[in-house]
Amino acid sequence: MSEDYNDNKTIQAQSSETMGGGGAGVTPDMDYVRPAEIADQDLYHGHSFITKWIFCQDAKVIGVQYFLLATFTGVIGLILSWLMRLQLGFPGAAGFMTAEHYYQFVTMHGMIMVVYFLTALFLGGFGNYLIPLMVGARDMVFPYLNMVSFWSFFVAVAVLMASFFVPGGPTGAGWTLYPPQTILEGTPGSGAGILLMCLSLILFVAGFTMGGLNYLITVLQARTRGMTLMRMPLTVWGIFTATVLAMLAFPALLVGALMMSLDKVLGTSFFMPTILKAGEVLEYGGGSPILFQHLFWFFGHPEVYIVALPAFGIISDLISVHARKNIFGYRMMVWAIVGIGALSFFVWAHHMYVSGMNPWFGFFFATTTLIIAVPTAMKVYNWILTLWRGNIRMNTVMLWCLGFIVTFVNGGITGIFLGNVSVDVPLSDTYFVVAHFHMVMGIAPLMVIMGAIYHWFPLVAGRFLSEKLGKWHFWLTFLGAYSIYFPMHYLGFIGVPRRYFEMYDSPYMTSTVGMNEFISLAAFLVGAAQFILIFNIIKTLKTGKPAGKNPWKANSLEWLTPTVPPEHGNWGDRLPVVHRWPYDFSVPGAKDDYITQTTPPSEVSNTGVEKT
Amino acid sequence: MHPGIIFFLVILGSILFHIFTPWYWTDVASNWGGMDDTITLTFWIGGGVFVAVCLFMVYCVFKFSYKENRKAEYKPEDKKLEKILTWATTIGVVALLAPGLIIWNSYVNVPKNAIEVDVMAWQWGWQYRLPGKDGKLGTTQVVNVNDDNPFGINLDDPYGKDDVMIQSDVLNLENNVPVKILLRSVDVLHNWYVPQFRAKMDAVPGIVTFYWFEPNKTGEFEVLCVEYCGVGHYAMRGGVIVQETQEYNNWLNQQELFSDLIAKREKMEIEKTKLVKK
Amino acid sequence: MSEPKLEGIELKPGFKGMAEDTGSDQTMFKGVHWGKAMMWIFLLSDTFIFSCFLIAYMKGRGSTPVEWPNPSEVFALDAFGVPVPLLLIAIMTFVLITSSGTMALAVKYGYEKNRKMCGWLVLATAIGGLTFVGMQAFEWSKLIHEGVRPWENPFGAPQFGSFFFMITGFHGTHVSIGVIFLFIYAYKVFAGHYDQQKRGWFTSMKGNYVEIEILGLYWHFVDLVWVFIFAFFYLW
Repeated sequence: MSEDYNDNKTIQAQSSETMGGGGAGVTPDMDYVRPAEIADQDLYHGHSFITKWIFCQDAKVIGVQYFLLATFTGVIGLILSWLMRLQLGFPGAAGFMTAEHYYQFVTMHGMIMVVYFLTALFLGGFGNYLIPLMVGARDMVFPYLNMVSFWSFFVAVAVLMASFFVPGGPTGAGWTLYPPQTILEGTPGSGAGILLMCLSLILFVAGFTMGGLNYLITVLQARTRGMTLMRMPLTVWGIFTATVLAMLAFPALLVGALMMSLDKVLGTSFFMPTILKAGEVLEYGGGSPILFQHLFWFFGHPEVYIVALPAFGIISDLISVHARKNIFGYRMMVWAIVGIGALSFFVWAHHMYVSGMNPWFGFFFATTTLIIAVPTAMKVYNWILTLWRGNIRMNTVMLWCLGFIVTFVNGGITGIFLGNVSVDVPLSDTYFVVAHFHMVMGIAPLMVIMGAIYHWFPLVAGRFLSEKLGKWHFWLTFLGAYSIYFPMHYLGFIGVPRRYFEMYDSPYMTSTVGMNEFISLAAFLVGAAQFILIFNIIKTLKTGKPAGKNPWKANSLEWLTPTVPPEHGNWGDRLPVVHRWPYDFSVPGAKDDYITQTTPPSEVSNTGVEKT
Repeated sequence: MHPGIIFFLVILGSILFHIFTPWYWTDVASNWGGMDDTITLTFWIGGGVFVAVCLFMVYCVFKFSYKENRKAEYKPEDKKLEKILTWATTIGVVALLAPGLIIWNSYVNVPKNAIEVDVMAWQWGWQYRLPGKDGKLGTTQVVNVNDDNPFGINLDDPYGKDDVMIQSDVLNLENNVPVKILLRSVDVLHNWYVPQFRAKMDAVPGIVTFYWFEPNKTGEFEVLCVEYCGVGHYAMRGGVIVQETQEYNNWLNQQELFSDLIAKREKMEIEKTKLVKK
Repeated sequence: MSEPKLEGIELKPGFKGMAEDTGSDQTMFKGVHWGKAMMWIFLLSDTFIFSCFLIAYMKGRGSTPVEWPNPSEVFALDAFGVPVPLLLIAIMTFVLITSSGTMALAVKYGYEKNRKMCGWLVLATAIGGLTFVGMQAFEWSKLIHEGVRPWENPFGAPQFGSFFFMITGFHGTHVSIGVIFLFIYAYKVFAGHYDQQKRGWFTSMKGNYVEIEILGLYWHFVDLVWVFIFAFFYLW
């Protein structure tokens, strides 16, 4: 058994500096970095197929597992969106499309995309792969717990998919699952469907708590020598802050889901007031539907930042590497991420302006919501200021970054419309809201995910994805998605409501028929365009151009491993030692236009590099 | 084609779409035109930011494209610029928030002369009740709702007797008279919305919610339910007819009062016992 | 992972010291074992869960249309024919707080490598926890016998039963899980696993007395939550 473990007690990281606290007569030189505080990590190495690829404790393998499972759920969500658009663009075209089915598609599409696809992908996929590498650790701090967290996610997805097959089908209550309708007849899936949804969400929360503990402690307590918090890439800051949000917001979802299940199964009345149905007064009474909404949105608003903050972090790194320029205002970017994260807990009821809650809350939440616009705007300015006077490589990765800026600013601005309470009154529950959240939660983070895939594929697989196919993929996706959601805002201005199975019977909505047809066709096209990426990946894995080490000439630690792709334990015999931030690009006087994080000061003492 | 050109065309296209779009808000038919004005202001400020940011990005893409022996500028921070941008954004945000909150203040403070209208929602339809000559709506309970008492009015509440019952989903309103819509639901969440009036609020079972507006255009308007309430949600429609005072009063005088309904039912009971006796 | 070294690291006192630690490399919390940091963060998350429960309970109680039952009457116990309000709860609280005391002592003896004392004290904590769960189960069966259900009860508002069973059930589950771990850890202490640094069955990581302290943190949390439940549910 003992050969399974890295008992690396005797091997410490080396550099040109002294070890230990420094005895008498030793002068700390310019390359000095504090010695290691803890012994090297004790890792478990699997040897069988099962322990190497199935129940694997290597965060990189777990990251790929999350990525694949999340993508699988995302494809299901995509197919559901096609079914929805089929009804909206071409009502009556599909015989199986009843109102019940439509609402089930709507609900499952929403829940899958927000929770099981985006959150799992950013935190479980990118977080697991990149965090240990970027902070210079060998693995996550609790590899066993990490492995269990993935399999909890797996069971959560299995339970969710099972809800498609139970009597009554999956819940069709809208991803927001508002009571009382969710557990009453008249809403599809109000039996086993909603119970399996609640169970799946509870399992998801349990799994992501386990994962979240890993991400947080690894960033806080397992960084390598020289890696201060302010030398971490913004990717890590984004995922780290998102994880803090997850640890504090998921409890509210768990409590809401649990109480809703009890209302259904045991007949409690947490959320159920006196209800008259089909002439009968039900056994419930005294509960508050608005209580559920508060619990749900206390989770729900931080949830969207759990998706957005990793995207913000990643895009900063992608832009700076491919514009060969330091991210503008790194410290402000860090504070903005942390500030947005903190503020995100104080804005939740902007989803409830017309819910019937106490009207005075509207003043408070409108104010906090518009305050949160300020740090977000600062980030946008800093991204474009990074491009200013940069040396911009117009490759596929950069295209996705530019697409992100356009779609995120668009979606962010429409958020300001909705955050301003009295402006929200006419627009709430219309297609303006649908357009807003798809632009800012769907398209913009998707641009980041795609950019990140093209950027880090050479690290994970050792090859470059085809630029030509990548450009087709980008333009079809960006132009197609923009043409879907930009015009959709105007449907909201007319007043077209959300969650309408049919609408063309209404005189003032018949003018939208053509636009809805167009949007549906665009949606089918954009969905299909994603298969270009799948084809690209498969082709590249077979015959793609080898990338070698650090092909993008980036600075951060993940590109500096001894082997590419990195092996278990990441760093071989020696942990890296960090001397600077990851944004020393185009430093005046330097030989190359990049200086890696591990380059000691003595090697660049004749350049204009600033101390970080 | 240089990518910058395509991005530029996207921005240009967005602006043109906005100017020439056939889909824009309906003509406002209530006092809440201020909401439209705030939206317009938000378009100017927000839209301006969107266009400025994206055009700046396009400019950078053209001007600073990659050259082998060129180096980017190395400037980790510019505190002064960041301060200016922060303040400018804050001012923009305040400029939007101020009118928004002023209008909201007006929205939650109902004018004293507003007529109360009970809007009762159920899966999947509407019915309405007016306070009648005493100006007050009678109290109700869900458990009282039945065929003899479709609104669930408490029988021992004197104010309820002269309530006007409108058991259709079309409500008539008097032009230029403010109304306070009191929403209640007997089953699940609903929301009574007329796009032309702009205002809306959820109807929540277990409590009574409200909003107010003053119609200022006569005509017929469609009511939509805008809070998902089950499979019939999309079909849960109603109507509002706004009339001038004379026509409105004619309509009002023809409506049934709760006391009429009680009398009718009592008469039917007496007829029934007579039949039985025979 | 072995204990982090503190030699060669100067820890400055006060806020200035904390700020320096935050700005330094490698770790933010100097000398803190990964497992301990993990347990603190997990407990923070768990605090939010119980806070959500208690806030929902306060909202439910505050807006109840029907009278809320009087806790002193409902939870009274008959002692020699005289109903003593909250007697059972008082005993349960005493037992749980005492078990926190034995746990704290166990941690001390663990770090002193006094295997026998540590083991007995962990066992005492486990038995205290088991007693608490037993009394909670007794209380549940008494109330169920009197007609209290999650959906209704003879004493007042129906939400009383639902909140009671849900909150005490969730807390009781936490205590039960803690009791199971305590029995396992008592065995491991007596068997010398922490002295030998034997690798664990699940995670294959080396054993260490810090695990007793980590379990202790969890146990104190469970105790603290009980104090809040006691205050909000039984005393209010």
